[in-house]
This record gives sequence, C-alpha cells and structure tokens, in this order.
Amino acid sequence: MRRRDVGTDIVNPRLTPLGWVGLVAVVVFGCLPTYWLVATALMPREEVFAPNRSFLPRAISLESFRTFSGNAELMQNLLNSVIVSSLTAILSVVVSILAAYSLSKFRYRGRGALMVLLLSGQLFPGALLLISLYLLLNTVGLLYTYTGLVLAFTTFTLPLTVFLLKGFFDALPDEILEAARLDGASNLAVLRRIALPLVAPGIATAGLFGFMRGWNDLLFALTLGGQDKRTLPAGLVQTFIYQGAADWPALMAASIVTSLPIVVTFVILQRFLVSGLSAGAVKG
Amino acid sequence: MPHTPPVVGARKSLGTSASRFDGDQTGPPALVRTRRIAISDRSFGILLAAPAFALFVVIAVYPLVASIGMSVFDQTLLREGRSFVGLSNYAEVLSETFWGRLRTTVVFSLFATVAPLVIAVGAALLLNSRLRGRTILRGALMVPWILPSVVTSFLWAWIFNTNYGLLNQLLLRLGLTDGATSWLGDDLGAMAAVVVAKTWQSFPWMMAVTLAALQTVPAEHLEAAVVDGANRWQRFWHVTLPHISVAVGLVSLLEFIYNFGNFDTIFVMTGGGPGEATSTLALSVFDMAFQTFDLGGAAALGSLWLVVLGLISGAYLFLNHRAEQR
Repeated sequence: MRRRDVGTDIVNPRLTPLGWVGLVAVVVFGCLPTYWLVATALMPREEVFAPNRSFLPRAISLESFRTFSGNAELMQNLLNSVIVSSLTAILSVVVSILAAYSLSKFRYRGRGALMVLLLSGQLFPGALLLISLYLLLNTVGLLYTYTGLVLAFTTFTLPLTVFLLKGFFDALPDEILEAARLDGASNLAVLRRIALPLVAPGIATAGLFGFMRGWNDLLFALTLGGQDKRTLPAGLVQTFIYQGAADWPALMAASIVTSLPIVVTFVILQRFLVSGLSAGAVKG
Repeated sequence: MPHTPPVVGARKSLGTSASRFDGDQTGPPALVRTRRIAISDRSFGILLAAPAFALFVVIAVYPLVASIGMSVFDQTLLREGRSFVGLSNYAEVLSETFWGRLRTTVVFSLFATVAPLVIAVGAALLLNSRLRGRTILRGALMVPWILPSVVTSFLWAWIFNTNYGLLNQLLLRLGLTDGATSWLGDDLGAMAAVVVAKTWQSFPWMMAVTLAALQTVPAEHLEAAVVDGANRWQRFWHVTLPHISVAVGLVSLLEFIYNFGNFDTIFVMTGGGPGEATSTLALSVFDMAFQTFDLGGAAALGSLWLVVLGLISGAYLFLNHRAEQR
C-alpha cells in the first residue's frame, strides 16, 4: 500500500476554494437534470406548465404515473420489455456460458478467429446491418416477433458476456476440471457440476448485462419490434414523438418507469462490477 | 467467489503439457479415458462454441455483408426485386449526402468527446482530493451513465424545451435572456443541445476510468516533485498527466467511436433536424432505409460510413494493443 503519513496531502490534496467551485459546478451539472426528471414526474400537471412555477414541487401528485398506467399501448410496451429482456438474459447466459467455456478451456483451429470475430462485433454499425437484418427476419417470418428481437439482442450482447465469462473460466484452475475428468465424469458433467457453480457471480453479471441490452435498446426495438412487440424505448418514441403528444410530465413518469429496472440492476451489479469496470465500459 | 474445492487426484505425472483439454495430442494417455466418451474433447469444445458462432454469423456477419452487397443494387422496400446499378448509388451519395453528413458526424463526435473528457478529468481530480463523502458523490455522479439513453435524450429534450424547459426558465429568472430561446429549432442550438446531452451521459464513465488511472500514479514521484519545488500545476502537468494519459487517451478514442455511431441521442432529441443540422451518418442511413425506403442508397452511405468507422476502430485497436504490451 501507499505510504499514508507523508504522501496523503500530496496524493489526495485538500480542495482549494476554486476547487470547491468546480466541484459544486460538476455536481449541479451531474445531478440537476435527474432531479428535474423526478420533479417533473411528481409535480401536479398544472404546476409544470404554470407561468411562474417553482422549481421545488409544492405538492406531490401521481397523476403523471396514472397517465402512464392508463395507456394500454405503453403498458403493452412495458410487458414486451419485461418478456424480451428476460428472454435475452436467459438466452445470452446459456449461449455465452458454452462459448466462454469453450474459448477458455479448449484449443482448436479457428478459436482465435472466433474471438476476433466476437470482439469486432462490438463495433459493427447497427443502422447499416439493420437494413439486411430487417429483410432477413422478414423472409423467415421473424419480423415483429419476440423471437426476432431476442435473437438480435442476444447476438449483440455476446461480445460482452462471452469475454466476461471467459475471464471467470480462465480463473478456474484446469487441475480441478482434469481431476474430475480422470475420475470418469463426462465433459458435460464437468461443466455442469464443477465449473458452473464456481462462476456463479459471472453468470449473474452476464444475465444482467443481457437484460440491460434488451431493455435499453432503441434502434432494433424501433425497426424489428413492430406495433405489437415493440419495447418501452420504442414505445416512448411512438407515443411521444410520432403521435405528437407533447405530454412532458407523463413522458418523464414513463422515463422513470423505464429507468427503474436498470437502476435496480446496477445496484445489484455493484457487487460484481468492482473488478470489471472495463467490461462495463462497453456501453456507449 | 465461492470456496474452491480441493484438488482431488491431480496427478503430477500428467505434467504441465496436459494442463488444458488439448484434445488428443497432449491429453492424458488413452488408457485413462473411459469408454463412455462418445466424442473427443476437442469436438466437445467446438460443439460448445457452435451456438454463439451460428448466431453471430447469421444475425451479425451475414447482414453486414449483405448490406454492403446491397449497395450496388437499386432496391427499395416499396417493390419486389432489385436491379444491378454498379457504383451509381455511391456516386449519388458521394455527390449529395456523404460529405455533409460526415462533417456533421465529425463535429458531433469531436465535441461530444472533448467536452465530457474535460469534465471527467476535472471531476476525477477534484474527487481524488481529500473530501468527506466522496464515495457518495462519485456514486451520485454515475447516475447519468446508468440511465437508458432514451431516457437521457427525452430528459434533455425537455430541459431544452422552448416554453417550459428548465434551461430557458433558469436563464429568464437569472435575467440572462429576455425571451425564450428555441434551442432545438436552431441549427447551432440543436447541435449544442445534443452535444450537451451526450456529454452528460458520457462523462461519468470517463471520470471513473480517470479516477482508476489516478490511483496508479506513484506517491513517490509526487513527493519527489514536491521536494524539487514543483507547484500543484507543475505536478499535474509533469507527473500526474503522463501517468494517466494512456488510459484517458484510449477512453477518449473509444468515446469518439461510440459518438460516431450514435443513434439514440440525436434521433430522440432532434431527429436529425432542424433541416439537416444534426443529421449524422447513422441518422441518414436509418432515414434513407426506413423513412424513404431507398435501401440501395442507404447501403452505399452505410458502407462509406463503415470505411471511416473501420479506420478509427483500427487505430483504437492498434493503440490499445500497444498500450497493453507496455
């Protein structure tokens, strides 16, 4: 560890008055918009549009949230989000466990190429790829279905989740797995009974990443979801932009509903994320 | 991590060459194998990777290649069939849209990288000082990065709203303006607005990376600099900055790449407008394909976009590789 006696004030200096000004400015910039999101959603509607309104809510009202829950289309979008994100989480966990275990513990020709391919997938431009993906899903009858959305989200979660889990499998000593093999366990049994329980935190993290991918995406949800299967982000665009309802308080309430599962996910992830900031850094 | 089970039966005689399931050449002797194994270890490994590989090829690689191929056809969503047109789609987008949209994309990406970079480094240095409750502050400042990008974009569209937006209201109260500014209705204002929104969303993770890099600055070097009479600014410039520059540089390049492909922020806040003022390459490709249904043109524009993106990404991968080797 770093020497604390002499170095503290140099390594972690005290703030100068100018530093305090900067810190306050950063905190205001960082926190004020979020406050405004919550305040707008909780203010009574007439207060939001009052000519001389206060920046602190004078009263709390759930009116805007009721507007959201009273909108059948948005509620359907919410249900779609839950279904699509959960399925994406499950499928990406299953597929990436298998792939990560393979990349970590086996050697075969094409292994390196597969890793490069997966890594480069992070940088594929979505809008360009979408043109043909749209036609492809249309041809095979998966356009505007849950399956199509889940397959697309899962595929683009893989670069993240496979390498995340590969890191966990890499940390497992090969001797443990070999010992089990020598004792007569099949390859599948080694994976299921020995490797999997040891990488449980990695599996949970990968699942949450899959969930977030499905939940947050806009571009694919907008084009591949269609009217019935579109998820909340695309639903917000449909309701508040395309249908031109400039109902800001309701939009902010809907935004809070859209954010809550992600915020909860992050609180859970905090436990696992400490070691994996670079993995989390993939989000744009 | 759960407890590690004891290593039962790991035999020294197998040596280190068999430390992985290497398949037949380096695996344990055949006698040790049980008869129940129908497939070899190597095949099992390949089988495991198959679903991921299949998904990736069908959903990611094939569509990308097919889209590039589509750029030499006249194809629309409005009618069946397509006809080969050679490079005329390229000629068209190069003379009409590409250069203007590239310029818009570069302007957006540059400002939406530099602005959060400055804030992130400043905030990281401030949070690195002796401060009560800095863990809480750091956590609070991460919130903008956590929120879904759609939410961030709608929130900032609301803040920049002409009649009821927070920004105009604050400016009016403070007496800085006497009338409402139509931010999103103005060419420059709209670009500034999307840059501010993206800055708000991106600075937290750049700050987190910078903070992590700051922990690697050796205290001895800073102390030595003090002994040599260096002031705060000199210590930052000559000791701290060289230590964090690689991490901060790579983060900035990555952020630039993300901005180059940004869709959500601009689509939600301005839709590329007013006019074409914030219409980046990502927005244009989407618009051409799904609003005007000109798939061939969108594919040509997208392929040119891919070329530029590939060059920047290549630079990133190269620099990242070099940084890791050091």
